[in-house]
Amino acid sequence: MRGFLTTPVLCLAIGLAMAPVAAGAADAVTVMADACAGCHGTDGHSVGGMPAFSGKKADELKKVLHDYKSGSREATVMDRIAKAYSVEQLDAIADYYASRKK
Amino acid sequence: MSNISRRTFNGLLGAAGALTLAGGLSACSSGARVVVVGGGFGGATAAKYLKRYDPSLDVTLIDAQPTHFTCPFSNTVLVGMNDMAYIERKFDKLTSMHGVKVFTDMVTAIDPATKVVKTAGGKTFEYDRLIVSPGIDFKWNAIEGYDAAAAEIMPHAWKAGPQTVLLKKQLEAMPNGGLVVIAPPGNPFRCPPGPYERASLIAGYLKKHKPKSKLLILDAKDAFAKDKLFKEGWEKMYDDIIEWVPAAKNGKVTKVNAKDGTVETDFEKYKPAVANIIPPQTAGQIAITAGLTDKSGFCPVDPNTFESTLAKNVYVIGDAAIAGDMPKSGYSASSQAKVCAAAIVATLKGEKPVPLSAINTCYSLVAADYGISVAAVFAVKDGKISAIPGSGGVSPMGANYQFRKKEADFATGWYQSICQDSWA
Repeated sequence: MRGFLTTPVLCLAIGLAMAPVAAGAADAVTVMADACAGCHGTDGHSVGGMPAFSGKKADELKKVLHDYKSGSREATVMDRIAKAYSVEQLDAIADYYASRKK
Repeated sequence: MSNISRRTFNGLLGAAGALTLAGGLSACSSGARVVVVGGGFGGATAAKYLKRYDPSLDVTLIDAQPTHFTCPFSNTVLVGMNDMAYIERKFDKLTSMHGVKVFTDMVTAIDPATKVVKTAGGKTFEYDRLIVSPGIDFKWNAIEGYDAAAAEIMPHAWKAGPQTVLLKKQLEAMPNGGLVVIAPPGNPFRCPPGPYERASLIAGYLKKHKPKSKLLILDAKDAFAKDKLFKEGWEKMYDDIIEWVPAAKNGKVTKVNAKDGTVETDFEKYKPAVANIIPPQTAGQIAITAGLTDKSGFCPVDPNTFESTLAKNVYVIGDAAIAGDMPKSGYSASSQAKVCAAAIVATLKGEKPVPLSAINTCYSLVAADYGISVAAVFAVKDGKISAIPGSGGVSPMGANYQFRKKEADFATGWYQSICQDSWA
């Protein structure tokens, strides 16, 4: 019985242990999100005048991205870019950057 | 079992599980050798992101020059807004921050059969996967009389470096009242809006320093990237300086004579003070030498991985690649590099590469405080890299000063970010 109980804990432990390595995992979300880094810096650490993602919470980023997509937030270029992604994709991008190292 | 010991037990199991998993992952690709040819936006980004996606890889970058001068922002150098150091990118952080081995040497041969790269310096590099990111070379004599020697008198300045300095010096030396000719090529070519940004910034320089001068764009095309936006800006700021002559109005330059300084179209002959001839282009020479190009002069690739369709385990990215709707730009090259790096990491592990998702964002300065942009997001559709419908496009027409100023500021922010993302 105890063996069964440990399974979720074990998975969680692996997940946590893997977290730093996940910075390297080149899955579909990583590839999609890393395309943004050209303007916003690696892991969202913008070094110039472009807005940085680092330190932003996922919900904050999601709201901004949704508003760019809908057109309710004023933009120069992000309205044109956000329209290319589904809401689910924008959410995945937001979660990705919110989880990057600070 | 007490609570404490059970927690310890779980912790140990977790750690062991993680170790096994991590060990298993690295065992598949540990030490796999990836060689990257070219240290521009494509090559540098590829090298960095290969190490990010799999730190166990043995990544080597080879560039003929010890540093890379970027074409983006080289137009600002021509007119004194920035100096050459501003567009010079060093490779040292690729080594110190990401563990990429960097060699300054010219790759002279690639043998896909034996997976070996050879250099002018006599070195041999063996690879498991090879990324070729050589940028462009020029079709000398496609314009009669325009060869490498003529380019020392009539600079193309379409590879940044000594050519940039040469064109800058000529602009500084020309008399007030002189004529500048810019001759952009037909499609496809590196940086489609680049010649028109250059015309804009040079016109701004002439307006300030040599106001009696004229700038003639002798074009091999009848339309160009962001053309409505450029023309809107030119009318406002440079109406009495810039004249654009499309191919349909006999704009295409067919012949130059570097010795007597003349530039000819089919029916006209000009004698400009400064002639900036941007000739038709091909993939960088090494891609041709290695047999990676087709009759277009560029390299056909798999749209999801950038693996050459002509050589196995060889990948071509950036300006040299035929990449569907993606323009030949620094941002495209850098975005392609990440997709390619992920695909290589996946295939080395025996996994299926994820589908391409890429972006191009490109700013042009019409003046120091007047920026315009084009953006697009790409996915593969029907076997071709295609812009996603209903998104992307260029800046709006008729925008106010604040909007254009903001995009000019973003142009600088863009440059700083993409240089960081590619080389640091």
